[in-house]
Amino acid sequence: MAAALLNDRSGVEDVLHDVFVDFAQSVGGFELRGSLKGYLAICVANRARDRNRTAHRRGAAGLDETPAPPTDTAGPEQAAKSRELVARLDAAMAELPDEQREAVVLHVQSRLPFREIARLREISINTAMSRYRYGLDKLRSILNGELES
Amino acid sequence: MNDMRNTRRVVQSYLENLPMPGAEQVDARVLPDALTAMHKAKPQTAPSSRPIWRTIMMSKTGRLTAAALVVGVTLLALFDRFTQPAWALSDAIEALKDFRALYMVGAFPGGTAEVWIRANEDKTHSTDVVVRGSQGAVTWTKDGSTYHFEPAQNTVYFENALTVGASQWLGPELLEMFSAAENAQIVRGKDPATGRDRVLLMCSLIDVHGAQSWVIEFDKASRLPVAVKQWPNLYRSGPPSFDTFKILYYEDLPDDVFNVSIPNDAKYVEKPLAIPEETVAGLSDPRDGIPTEGLTQQEAAEKAVRILYQATIEQDLRQLKSICPLCRNWGDEFLRRIVLKPDKDDRIVEVLELRPISKTGHSPLGPIAAVPTVVRLKNGKKAEVKMIVQFRNIGGQSSCVVHGPYGLPHEIE
Repeated sequence: MAAALLNDRSGVEDVLHDVFVDFAQSVGGFELRGSLKGYLAICVANRARDRNRTAHRRGAAGLDETPAPPTDTAGPEQAAKSRELVARLDAAMAELPDEQREAVVLHVQSRLPFREIARLREISINTAMSRYRYGLDKLRSILNGELES
Repeated sequence: MNDMRNTRRVVQSYLENLPMPGAEQVDARVLPDALTAMHKAKPQTAPSSRPIWRTIMMSKTGRLTAAALVVGVTLLALFDRFTQPAWALSDAIEALKDFRALYMVGAFPGGTAEVWIRANEDKTHSTDVVVRGSQGAVTWTKDGSTYHFEPAQNTVYFENALTVGASQWLGPELLEMFSAAENAQIVRGKDPATGRDRVLLMCSLIDVHGAQSWVIEFDKASRLPVAVKQWPNLYRSGPPSFDTFKILYYEDLPDDVFNVSIPNDAKYVEKPLAIPEETVAGLSDPRDGIPTEGLTQQEAAEKAVRILYQATIEQDLRQLKSICPLCRNWGDEFLRRIVLKPDKDDRIVEVLELRPISKTGHSPLGPIAAVPTVVRLKNGKKAEVKMIVQFRNIGGQSSCVVHGPYGLPHEIE
């Protein structure tokens, strides 16, 4: 999830480190409401968002890793297409507004229900669903635009 | 990209295949600091009022707070995901072979304690223990019994069983036992304070003492355990029931170390027989055990214990699990190593005597009884082992199962 939310994936370990160390430090006063998975997911999202903003202010470069190789390709041509799609998705994700990107990742990758996302972000379910829908719609537009260009 | 569903499918596939950092890399980066932070965190839980003797090494009960549970599950999930049990225990096992006695200093909820502990000659389990608490309380073992002196009450609480100590010596046997546990995890990293390489061995199980989990920290250079933590739950959650921060190793210790003086006018009170609440559910399946219709308690208890020993001697895991259902909490390999011990000299080979029930009590399921037995080991030695039998009446049918040993074996010859 950290990898999906960070523009600079070299920061994945840092985010995990900070989230779990903070979490461990807060053990004494911690009171969990709702699911642990959701809580940690939001912690990761917050850290990732902070890191992206800091990097943006510093003018850091964007995604810096080679995209993941496709897992089930039928041949070299298909592999090349998959790599290209992954690169486009990387770029498209980075273009999404933070809250939309987060809604997409939390719902699609972390499989959090909208109700949980809404509770954790203290927004209405409709807002959570809208962010997800707008995010996915924007991804589709970006990808379609690039594919058509 | 035709519709939302297609887009979602593509995005999902993309997210599931994102590049991830290597597991060991993440372990080394995250775990030492997270563990240190957790260790330093001050829990809000009120200090336990449990006496020391129930918290050392064989702690019996523990309630999980929601917050504590969270921590345990989180770390467990991390370990499960990121660790690979690649570190061989053989070096540490070799390093521990020469030591028969230990001195430990550590913390438990409510104070600190120093522990002197010595193993039997075969270094299979502890025989002598003295635990001196920071508030003047002392717990010790002598001649097969356990005593706890509470200075504020000028009272010695005792029970005729070795209920304090190490059922497996902190040595090769214990490490082998841990390495066979299905959920054992080994994590490598650096001590954030000293920068020294260290290895953490983590394990959890439910046995006759209830739910327990451990973290043993090895110094990679000396190959010796340098810290041991134990929790009274499966999740390493909440304050540890004992958290050592100093361990010294001895080839042996003089007997004087284990002598304890208490006021002559101290009262003596026998501790009632009880079993941990969290083990009761495991004893309540009517398909387990034996029917007791028409049998006296003594007859039924003897029959159940004989079946248990027979299963142990014949290496019959199925029968063992049926008569002693808590064994189901352990994997077969673990069970072989810790109970059946086919290749060990201290395995039971003969039942010499079943004595009259020595003590009774109650659990939520019904009456319980301790049955002293004398067994011969493969090495020719005799040992007294008390077994707790649980009687129950489920659906109008009377039956009993064996809960497990009441304390450690006491070598008598």
